[in-house]
Amino acid sequence: MKRKLLILPLLLMLCFLANAQQVTVTGKVINALTKAPLAGASVRTDSKLGITDKDGKFAITGNNGKVITLSFQGMQPVSLKITPASQNLLIALDEMISNLDTVVVTGYQTQKKADLTGAVTVVDVKELKKMPNNNPIQALQGRVPGMIVYSDGSPSGSNVTVNIRGIGSINGTNPLYVIDGVATTAGMHELNPNDIETIQVLKDASAASIYGSRASNGVIIITTKKAKKGVMQVTANARNSYSYYNTKMSVLDAQGYGNAVWQASANDAVLYGGAPLDQYLIYKFKWNVDANGNYALNKIILPEYVDTTTQTMKTANTNWFKEISQLAYSQNYDVTVSKGTDKGSSMFSVDYTDNKGIVRTTEFKRISARMNSDYRLINDKLLIGENFTANTTQEVQDPGVLNPALQALPVIPVHTVDGIGWGGPFGGMNDRQNPVRLLEDNKQNHYNYIRLFGNAFADFEVIKNLHLKSSIGLNEGVFDQRVMQLAYVSGYLNNPNNYVTMNHWTSTELTWTNTVNYKYEKGKHFLDAVAGTEAIKFNTMNTWAKAEGFASQDPNYMYLDAATGQRDNGGSASEVHLVSYFGKLNYVYNQKYLASVTMRYDGSSRFGVNNRFGLFPAFSLGWKLNKENFIKNNFSFISDLKLRYGWGKTGNQDNISVTANQTLYQTNYTGGDPTWTSPNGTAYDLSGAGSGTLPSGYQLVQRSNDAVRWEATTQSNFGMDFGFLNQKIYGSLDYFVKTTSDMLVQPAYIAVIGEGGNRWVNGASMQNKGIELLLGYKGKIASKVNFDITGNIATYRNKITSLPQEVVNNYGGNGTTDNILGHPWGSGYGYVADGLFTSQDQVANSADQLGKGLGRIRYRDINGDGVIDSKDQTWIYNPTPDFTYGLNFNFEYKGFDLTFFFQGIGHTDINVYDVKSMTDFWSINETGSNKGTRLLQAWSATNQKSSIPALTLTDRNNETRFSTYFIENGAYLKLRNLQLGYTLPKHVTNKVFANNLYVYVSGQNLFTVKAKGFTGVDPETPTYGYPIPTMLTAGAKITF
Amino acid sequence: MKKIFIIILIAAAFSCNKSYLDVSPKGQLSQAQVAAGTEQLVTAAYSSLGNDHYYTPWSLWNYGSVRSGDAYKGGRDESDIQEFYFGEIFVNQRSDLGNLDGQWFQYYVAISRVNAALSNLNSVSETTYPLKKVRQAEMRFLRGHWYFQLKILFKNIPYIDETVNTNDYAKISNRALSNDSLWEKIAGDFQFAVNNLPVSQPQIGRPNNIAANAYLAKTRLYQAYEQDEKHNVTGINATKLNQVVSLCDQVLNSSYGLEPDFANNFLLGSAYENGRESIFAVQYSKDDGTMFGRLDFGDVLATPMGIGCCDFHKPSQNLANAFKTDANGLPMFNNFNASDLDLTANTVDPRIDHTIAIPGHNWKYNQNELYQNSWNRTPDVYGYFASLKENVQRNSYIQVGPFYGSPKNRILIRYADVLLWKAEALIELNRANEAVSLINQVRTRAQNSTSLLKFSNGSPESNYNIGIYQPGINCNWTQDFARQALRWERRLEFAMEGNRFFDLVRWGIADTYLNSYFQVEKTKRKYLKDGLFTKNRDEYLPIPLNQIKFSHGLYVQNPGYTN
Repeated sequence: MKRKLLILPLLLMLCFLANAQQVTVTGKVINALTKAPLAGASVRTDSKLGITDKDGKFAITGNNGKVITLSFQGMQPVSLKITPASQNLLIALDEMISNLDTVVVTGYQTQKKADLTGAVTVVDVKELKKMPNNNPIQALQGRVPGMIVYSDGSPSGSNVTVNIRGIGSINGTNPLYVIDGVATTAGMHELNPNDIETIQVLKDASAASIYGSRASNGVIIITTKKAKKGVMQVTANARNSYSYYNTKMSVLDAQGYGNAVWQASANDAVLYGGAPLDQYLIYKFKWNVDANGNYALNKIILPEYVDTTTQTMKTANTNWFKEISQLAYSQNYDVTVSKGTDKGSSMFSVDYTDNKGIVRTTEFKRISARMNSDYRLINDKLLIGENFTANTTQEVQDPGVLNPALQALPVIPVHTVDGIGWGGPFGGMNDRQNPVRLLEDNKQNHYNYIRLFGNAFADFEVIKNLHLKSSIGLNEGVFDQRVMQLAYVSGYLNNPNNYVTMNHWTSTELTWTNTVNYKYEKGKHFLDAVAGTEAIKFNTMNTWAKAEGFASQDPNYMYLDAATGQRDNGGSASEVHLVSYFGKLNYVYNQKYLASVTMRYDGSSRFGVNNRFGLFPAFSLGWKLNKENFIKNNFSFISDLKLRYGWGKTGNQDNISVTANQTLYQTNYTGGDPTWTSPNGTAYDLSGAGSGTLPSGYQLVQRSNDAVRWEATTQSNFGMDFGFLNQKIYGSLDYFVKTTSDMLVQPAYIAVIGEGGNRWVNGASMQNKGIELLLGYKGKIASKVNFDITGNIATYRNKITSLPQEVVNNYGGNGTTDNILGHPWGSGYGYVADGLFTSQDQVANSADQLGKGLGRIRYRDINGDGVIDSKDQTWIYNPTPDFTYGLNFNFEYKGFDLTFFFQGIGHTDINVYDVKSMTDFWSINETGSNKGTRLLQAWSATNQKSSIPALTLTDRNNETRFSTYFIENGAYLKLRNLQLGYTLPKHVTNKVFANNLYVYVSGQNLFTVKAKGFTGVDPETPTYGYPIPTMLTAGAKITF
Repeated sequence: MKKIFIIILIAAAFSCNKSYLDVSPKGQLSQAQVAAGTEQLVTAAYSSLGNDHYYTPWSLWNYGSVRSGDAYKGGRDESDIQEFYFGEIFVNQRSDLGNLDGQWFQYYVAISRVNAALSNLNSVSETTYPLKKVRQAEMRFLRGHWYFQLKILFKNIPYIDETVNTNDYAKISNRALSNDSLWEKIAGDFQFAVNNLPVSQPQIGRPNNIAANAYLAKTRLYQAYEQDEKHNVTGINATKLNQVVSLCDQVLNSSYGLEPDFANNFLLGSAYENGRESIFAVQYSKDDGTMFGRLDFGDVLATPMGIGCCDFHKPSQNLANAFKTDANGLPMFNNFNASDLDLTANTVDPRIDHTIAIPGHNWKYNQNELYQNSWNRTPDVYGYFASLKENVQRNSYIQVGPFYGSPKNRILIRYADVLLWKAEALIELNRANEAVSLINQVRTRAQNSTSLLKFSNGSPESNYNIGIYQPGINCNWTQDFARQALRWERRLEFAMEGNRFFDLVRWGIADTYLNSYFQVEKTKRKYLKDGLFTKNRDEYLPIPLNQIKFSHGLYVQNPGYTN
C-alpha cells in the first residue's frame, strides 16, 4: 500500500525531467514465490511503456535518476530508481495481499475494487477452477456469501438453480449472466470454464440496476481471457476423474418386500378383522397364530418363475439401484494459445470434455472453441474486436430411472431367461418400467446442441477519455435430437410400434448496445460516466416430426424417411422485444468519498399497453475511512475500511410468458397427451365418420390484463469492506433489505371460470432481509508455509408482506382468514403429526380422527374442537435455510499446495414426501411398488418404540396428507473438494521446454455430515434428482 | 469516424419506437380474430364430449356403476386410485380428494366452451348466420347435459350461463338456486333445444329434436322425485311425470327404435355405431391426425390384463347373480343372491353375456378368443368377471401409453332408456298396466339377442331363459310389483353403463339397498368390509374443498360432510 502511494507522485513528476540522461535498463521479472518468470509484466519508465517477454525479460530506456515500475496483475508492483548500473536486474514480485487495485467490470464500465460502492463479490477464479465442474456456476456453491447454488449430479452440470439474497422472485431465481458485455440467461455448462478470466457477482440493486428489468435476481458478470500484450503463450490442461454413486437408496429385497406386505395384511387383520394374506402377487405366505394369539409369518414361498404360466422370467432378487449405476469415467482437455502485440491481441482456445454419469448410459460431451481478438487502429484510437465462442454439446440424459429403480419389484429379473429379453411386471404387479431397459433403449437418444455466443465491438476514443462504443451480441442456440422409441416386451408392458421423433429448435438473441463512456479527472475529483441504449430481440422456433413403423431398429436406419407408418409433426414460435435507455455516473472525491447514480428505462413487449416501460433508478455512497487521518494516525493496523450504502430498484420479466398481457385463443387439434391427463382438444368427429380429418375449434387459453406490469425489486444495502495488518485479514460485511413487489403470477382460479381462466396478474409482495460476512486471512507459518483461509456465512429471512385477494389461494392456507401473509414464501400448510398412537387409551381418548388406530399417526387437534379435519392445518414448512456457509483452506509449501473446501447449509426444512411416502408407508403412495427398508422397522405390537407408522394395506388414516411427518431438517456440511497439487521444479519443467508444469489429485464430495433426523440419503437431492457423485480426479496443467 | 458513431447512436435511439414493442403472439389468435369464428367456438364446445380421462371419466363408471353394487373398482388393489375406492365404500369419501375437484373442473371447462360459443352466437345476426337458432339450441343442449351430470353428482352447484360477466363468476354461490330451480334451469336449456332443433340433423354428432325431447324427459323424471335438504325423497310430482310421459312419446313415435340385437349397441364399426337405438352418442374417432385418435379415454382402465391394462370396473358377484332367471324366465327378485351364480345349474337372462365377461366364455363375441381366468389382475380381491360393454375385441384397441383405448362411440341416451323412463313415470302415476308392454319390449329384444352368444361349436354360452311379464299368468302386476320389475329391468338393461347409483338416489333407496348389498358382498369380497352408506350424506358427493376455498367460503358444503 505504501509503495503504491509513492508511485503516484513520482509518476506525476516524470514530465518535468524529460531532458535527463537516457539509460537502457535490462532485466528479468519473476514470481518471488515460485521463481517462475512473469511474461507480459508491464514495465514503465518515465518515457516508455513496455512489457516482458515470455522469459520475463525486458529492455527499456529511461532517464537516469527517474523511476522504473514493474507491475503484473495480481502482484505487488515494484518501483526502482534508474541508475546507469540498472542492467540485468532480477526483480521478484510478491503476490498481492490486497486485491484492492483489481479492476472490476461492473456493467458497461470498469471500476477499481477499492472504489466499489455496491455489494459486489469478486470471485477467486483460481480457487474456482480447482473444482472439476463443467458448469462454473455450480462450482460457485459456497463461494459467494448470500448466493445459494442448488444443483444435482447430472454429468452436464446443467441443473443449476442460483438464489442470490433469498428468493428474488417466484418466477425463477436465476441471475442474469453478462459475458463480455452480452447478457444471457442460457445455460453456463455449454461454455468452457477455462476461458473465464474473472467473475463478479453483483448482489445488490445499486450495482445491478444498470441491467434494469432483468436484474432482480442479481447479475453475474463474466469476462473471458484476453492475450497479454507482447506475450505468446500456450497453456494446456488435462483432467481425468472417476465418480461413483455413493448415495444409493436402501430398498427392500425380494424377501423384505414379502415380509412388508404380509405384515401390513396381518396388522389390518388384527385391527379390522379378516385374516392375513395367503398370497400376494407371486408371493405365497405360510403363517400361523402363535402361542400369544399373534399372527406370525413362517415362510415366504416364491415360484421359480415370475410368470408362472409362460416361464420366461426367473424369480430374481434384483437390486435395481445397482443395476442402473456405474463407475463413471470423465475426461477434460483444453489448450489455450494467445499472443498480444502493440496493435492488437488474439486468444484461441479449444476444449474437449467427456463426462460419463453415474447413472448408466448418461453422458455429456462438449467441444468448444473460442476466439477473442482485437485490433488497434487510427493511432490506437479505434479498437475493433470480437469475443466469440462456438460450442457443441451432446448429452444422453437420465430418462427418469431413479424413481422406477425404487419402484421396480426386486423379484423381477433384469432379463428373461434367454438373457436378451427384458424382465418386467407380471399379473397384478405395478406397471413401472424396467429401469435398465429404459436406460438401454435410451442410450442413442442424445441431443446435439450448438451454441454460438459472443459479440463484435468497436470502441472509438473521440477525444481523450471519451469513448463511443457499439457492440452487437449474438446468442444462438440450435438444438437437434432424434428420439428412437424401440419396440419392446417387458413383462406385460409392451410396445409393438417403434417410432422416431425428431426435435429441432433454434433460439436467437440479438443485443445491440451503444454506449458513451467518459472519464474525467482533475485535482481531487474523479468522474466516470456512461450512457447508452440497448435493444434486444429474442426469437425461438421449434419443429418436431414423428413417424412410426421401422423395419429395422438399427440407429443408422431409423430416420423419418424409412418409416412406413403414421406421421405427425408440429411446431411453434415466440418472440420478445426489449428496449432500454440507461446511464450511470460514478464520482470520487479526494479518494475518500464515493458516489454513484444509475438510471435505466426499460420497455418490454411482454407487458400490458398501460405499463410497457419501467424506470429503474439507483444510487450508492461510499466513504473510505482508511484514507482519513484520524484512522491513519490512530489505527495504523487498519489497512482498508470503507462504508457503503446503496439503494436501487430492479425488475423482473424474464420468466413469465412472452404473451403475458394478451387474450389468447388457440386451436388445439390433437389436444395434449391423453395418457395422464385430460387432452382438452378442440377437434370432434361431428359427422360420425369415425376417422379422417376432424373439424376443430378455438379454445381460450389466457385472459388479458392490460395493467400487467413489471415486478419490481427495491433493495437497500449497508456494507463495510475492511482489511487489517496490511490486508492480512480482510473481508466485508453486508446487510440488505430487499422488497420484491407485484410478483407476476397466474392465480389459481375458481373452477367455474372454466377454460382459459389463466391470467397474469401482479400479485403478492415479499421481503428478504439478510446479513453476509466474508472473512479472509493470509499468513505464513514458520515463514515457509503460505496459507490462505477464506470463509463466508450468510443468512436471510423472507416473508410475504402483501397478498392481494386475487392470489390468496395460490399459496396454501384455508382460503379465508389463515393465509401466507407474514410467512415465508414457499411455506407449507398442513397437519402436525404428534407421533403415533401407542395405546388403546390414546386411541379412545384422542380427538375424533377418521381412520385412527394403534400404530397410526396422531394428528394434532389444533383448533381444539375434538375433530381432526381440514381446520386443523397450520404453517408447518419453511424452506428458508437458517444460514449458508463455505470455508476454504489453502496451504502452499515449496512447490506443494493443499486445498480443503467445505460448504454447508444450516437448518432448513425440506419436504421429503416423495421419498418418505415410499420408505415409511406401504399404502399412501404407489402400493404395488417396491419400498424402502425402513418399512421393516415400522411400529408393531412387538416393536412399540418405532416412530414409523404401522404397516397397513389401505390408508384409512389419510396419512398421505401433508404433515410434519414429511418435513425434515436438510442441514448438511460437505467436503466439496480436497486437492493436493505440486508445481514441478524449474529444472524438470525446462526439460520439456515448459515454463510451468503443475500436477494435482483431488476428491469431491468425499464426506457429508447430515442432520440427525434426516431419513434420506443426501439432503441436497432428497427426492429423485440426479444423485451427486463422489469423485476422484487427477490432472495436470502445463504452460509453454 | 466520430460522425458515423453519432449517427449510429441516434439511429439506435430512434429505431426503438413504440411499435417495436408490439409483438404478436405466434400460432395463437386474439379476441378480435376469434369473433368471426362462431362455427369454431361451437365445434370446440362439442369437442368437450370427447375430452375424457380415466381420472375424470364422462362415463361416470366409478360414480354410477362402482358405487351402486353393480361393479367393483378393480385395478391392482384398493389403493390403486384409492380415491375411487374411498367412494366405493363411502365411509372414506373426503372433500379434498383430487378426483372430485378434477371432475368438477372438467365440467366447468366444458360449460365455459358452451358459454363462449353462446355469447358469440347471441351477437351474430340470423341474416349473416342463418344457423344461429339451431346452433344456439345445440349449445344449450350440451350445457344441459353438463349441468345434468354435475347435478346428479353434486346436487348443489353454481349455475353460470353466457349472460354472466366473468368477473362475477366467483360471486355465484352453489346455493344461489334451490334444488328445483336448478332442475328448472337444466330443463330450460333442453326446452329451448326442443323448440329450436330440427327433427334430423345433417351431421349425426349433433343432437336433434328427438334427442332434446329425450333429455328433457330424463330431466323431468329426476326433477319429479322431490328431495328435501337432506336428500330424502319427499314426494313424486305427478305434473312432471305426465310431462315425462308425453316427452317420451315424442321419442317413441319417432323413427328411432330398439336395435334388433342388444349387442349392436356395444359394437365398434359403422355397421353398429349411430344405429337406430342411439339417440345421442359421443363420437369417438381414430386415424384422425391426433396423437392416438380421439378415443374413449374415460374407459381405458377397463381393459383386462390379458389383453391390455388395467382391469378396473369389474362386475360384482351381486350383479352376476341378478341375471339369474326362474322357470318363467323372470328375475329371481327375492332369492337371486341366496347363492352365487352357477351356470351349470342356473338359467340366465342373455344380457349377462353381453355385459359380463365370464371365464371360458367368448371375449366380446369372438368365438376364437375365450376370456381367461389369467386375464384377471388380482382375482383374490376382485374376482374373475370383467366388463364387456365398453370393451372391444383384442385387435381393435389402440395403445395409449400403458393403457388401451378404443374409438367406439358411447351412447348417452338409448331408445331403451326412453321406454323405461316412460314405464317408470306410468307406474308412479299409478298407471302400471300401461307399463307392461314397454318393459316387455325391452325384454323381448333381450330374448332375441342370443345369436352372437354361441361358442364356435354352436352351443350357447349359457342356459338362457328369459320371459316377458304376463300379468295374471306369471305375475301379479300390482304397482309395487311393477315398480320392482321396472327397477330390475333398468338394472339388467343398463348394467355397467354408469347410471345405476343415480337411479338408486332418485328412487330414494340408496341407503337401504347399498347397506344390504355390503352386508352380503363383504363376505365374498373382504375389501368391502368397511363399506357403509350414510343416509342423508352419501347420496351426493361433497363439494370439492378446493372450490370452497377458492370461493372464499361462499360455497356451502353438502349436508353430512364436515368440511
